[in-house]
Amino acid sequence: MEIDPLPNGSGSAAATPAETAATTTAPSPASNTTTASKLSQLTESLKLEHQFLRVPFEHYRKTIRANQRTVEKEVSAVISSVTDVADSNELSKADAVLNLTSLVCRLQGLKRKLEEGSRTENLQAQRCRARLDHLESMDAENLSEWNNVRLKRILVDYMLRMSYYDTAVKLAESSNIQDLVDIDVFQEAKKVIDALRNQEVGPALAWCIDNKSRLKKSKSKFEFHLRLQEFIELVRAENHMRAILYARKHLAPWGATYMKELQRVTATLAFRSNTECAKYKVLFEPKQWDFLVDQFKQEFCRLHGMTLEPLLNIYLQAGLSALKTPYCYQDDCTKEDPLSQESFQKLALPLPYSKQHHSKLVCYITKELMDTENPPQVLPNGYVYSTKALKEMAEKNNGKITCPRTGLVCNYSDLVKAYIS
Amino acid sequence: MELNTIKDAFDRVAKRQKLSCKSQEVVEQVGHEIEQALAKIETTNDPLSPGDLKSILTELKLKLNTSGPLHQLEGLQKENNTNLSKYPKLLDKAFNPDISKAYRNVDFDFHIVNQIIASHFYRQGLFDLGDCLINEAGEPEDIVIRSHFLEMYQILEALKVKNLEPALKWITANREKLMQTGSSLELKLHRLQFMEIVQKGSKADALKYARTYLAPFASLHMNEFLKLVVCIVWVGKLDSCPHAELMAPTRWEDFTEELTQQFCSLVGQSCHSPLSVAIAAGIEALPTLLKLANVMAAKKQEWLAMKHLPVPLELGKEFQFHSIFVCPVSRDQGSEENPPMLMPCLHVLCKQSIMKLSKSSSRSFKCPYCPSEASAGQCRQLHF
Ligand SMILES: [Zn+2]
Ligand SMILES: [Zn+2]
Repeated sequence: MEIDPLPNGSGSAAATPAETAATTTAPSPASNTTTASKLSQLTESLKLEHQFLRVPFEHYRKTIRANQRTVEKEVSAVISSVTDVADSNELSKADAVLNLTSLVCRLQGLKRKLEEGSRTENLQAQRCRARLDHLESMDAENLSEWNNVRLKRILVDYMLRMSYYDTAVKLAESSNIQDLVDIDVFQEAKKVIDALRNQEVGPALAWCIDNKSRLKKSKSKFEFHLRLQEFIELVRAENHMRAILYARKHLAPWGATYMKELQRVTATLAFRSNTECAKYKVLFEPKQWDFLVDQFKQEFCRLHGMTLEPLLNIYLQAGLSALKTPYCYQDDCTKEDPLSQESFQKLALPLPYSKQHHSKLVCYITKELMDTENPPQVLPNGYVYSTKALKEMAEKNNGKITCPRTGLVCNYSDLVKAYIS
Repeated sequence: MELNTIKDAFDRVAKRQKLSCKSQEVVEQVGHEIEQALAKIETTNDPLSPGDLKSILTELKLKLNTSGPLHQLEGLQKENNTNLSKYPKLLDKAFNPDISKAYRNVDFDFHIVNQIIASHFYRQGLFDLGDCLINEAGEPEDIVIRSHFLEMYQILEALKVKNLEPALKWITANREKLMQTGSSLELKLHRLQFMEIVQKGSKADALKYARTYLAPFASLHMNEFLKLVVCIVWVGKLDSCPHAELMAPTRWEDFTEELTQQFCSLVGQSCHSPLSVAIAAGIEALPTLLKLANVMAAKKQEWLAMKHLPVPLELGKEFQFHSIFVCPVSRDQGSEENPPMLMPCLHVLCKQSIMKLSKSSSRSFKCPYCPSEASAGQCRQLHF
């Protein structure tokens, strides 16, 4: 809270520089600074929206790359076919016509594919723009509506990451924010996750191949772990010969980097799936598949420019740290404080308490902040309430004040103002 | 924030659409060359000598390899790739590239989070969504909260079409409890209804309503009662009624808000969604937390073990739920053991600071903020 002017006006005693700076009591500069700080706060909060722009862009970039690759591959295939035809020596006219016609068809197919691809690109570019426009649309007037939408975006993000797709889609559609959330990006993830939950690695492996270069760049072990799991399944099925062949083909290439892990898993050949040895037993447990799902989610988020944690968790944790005080865990914590609720208290348990450099006093009666405009007043029993609340009480009761916490009755004239910096 | 620069940068990327047209042109061109060769082969009169066939095909092969469609495609892609890699770098610079930097990797029980979200939906009347989440996540249903909010939602929906029936039913059923909190909702409800009747223009109806429903409030709220009854005089010419505030256009919204507040407090719920409040606080706090995490990047362990944040996260007034006293001398936060004390000059310090200044209450001391003298015995404890 801001410091009050000193009671006797003689500010001869030293106030620390911080307090002197805080002694701005004139209302107009104060409100100017609040709008200015409000504005800088808005800017700061916009800067948190990295993922909001990055994810659709990564999606867009992926489509562009895929389209590029298709053209390149097809055109070079056609040209090399032409070269083959031209270089072959005993080709009949009919064969030549047949060959060339099929190439023309192939190119027409490519053209259709390109048109389709460029439509997708257009849609995704539009989405990127819609997000930029949405960020730009935030201003002081529509703030509460904008914040509402932000909360919904954060919730959809949470649901998509938790694989609550139906709820995510429902929320996005009912709020008409489909362009502002990444449901389509997660459709791709859903296929892989569903398969992993059914203990199938196929789609996950296909995804790894699709994203080979980027996974390699981030030194991902995900594909290796998928291969290990497939190997374990062969051992479980007592398919030892195939397991060995599989290891030679798919595991050996990873040996140079991950020898220890490789050795541990191949050792299961000797132990079988009913082993009691804890080190190997765990490899056969179904929760290994859950690990794969988790690992996939992490890789997927990284690749799409998302935070690894749901946005909801990040914001919630920051908010709880900022709100957490020792008082929250007492019975008289106001209901309006999220931390008065058991569920929020539990979530906040491992988080640090907030810190204050200056007193912040809230009136017990009105729950409003006590400041220069509404200064704190002290009853003879040492209980403190806001001037606003006490004045109102006095007006209603012929100048009498009743302390709501102790029942003490006194006159309004018995009160003294406290000066708290 | 320079969103414009980012938009421009994106437009440069999206120029790609032109590039993709160009690559389509390349494909067309290749097709065209092949078709021309085909036409030549087919239109040449039979019998086409193997040499002629060979030369047509060789010509085609040379054309495709020298006009360099592949080369063209490569050029297009190069141009494209530069822009594609520039844009994310710009985003990294303009935005906070990793907002999870300050995140503590603690177990965040998602069952609790799911329950919180479901109640958040119920509170907004989004029962479908809440149920959908509960089903999909396989969480147990919180029937109590759901039914509370269902009741509230029905009351509020009725209010939207100016139907006060469900509200009145609820107020009557909870009259005792509402009285205890000093609520005047019932009077306010009848006031709303009465003013509707007054505005419809029937003096007799208005009088009848006043007699039946307003009269019981006359003893407790005399002023208000008189103010209402006098409006009957102005039926038909309400423009000149001195109590225009009774017809304020926001009166229905005001009533709705007050009812929502009292409903929530009566069923032990907060009036605002705690999830919205916590997230809004998080959005205000996160920028500072991220800066702090950056500064402490080298001391990750310390950061994770911290029991108190080292710096304050300045939140708006709306997030201030507790009185926190910080001693201006020691900067310590007030507590039961170390409470705030009022000095005779009306400045406030914490007990420990006063003990220090008074050398354990052995002598009087000068207030650090004004010239007055005080002794420890003159100081008294404050309760906020
Ligand atoms: Zn609290
Ligand atoms: Zn003093």
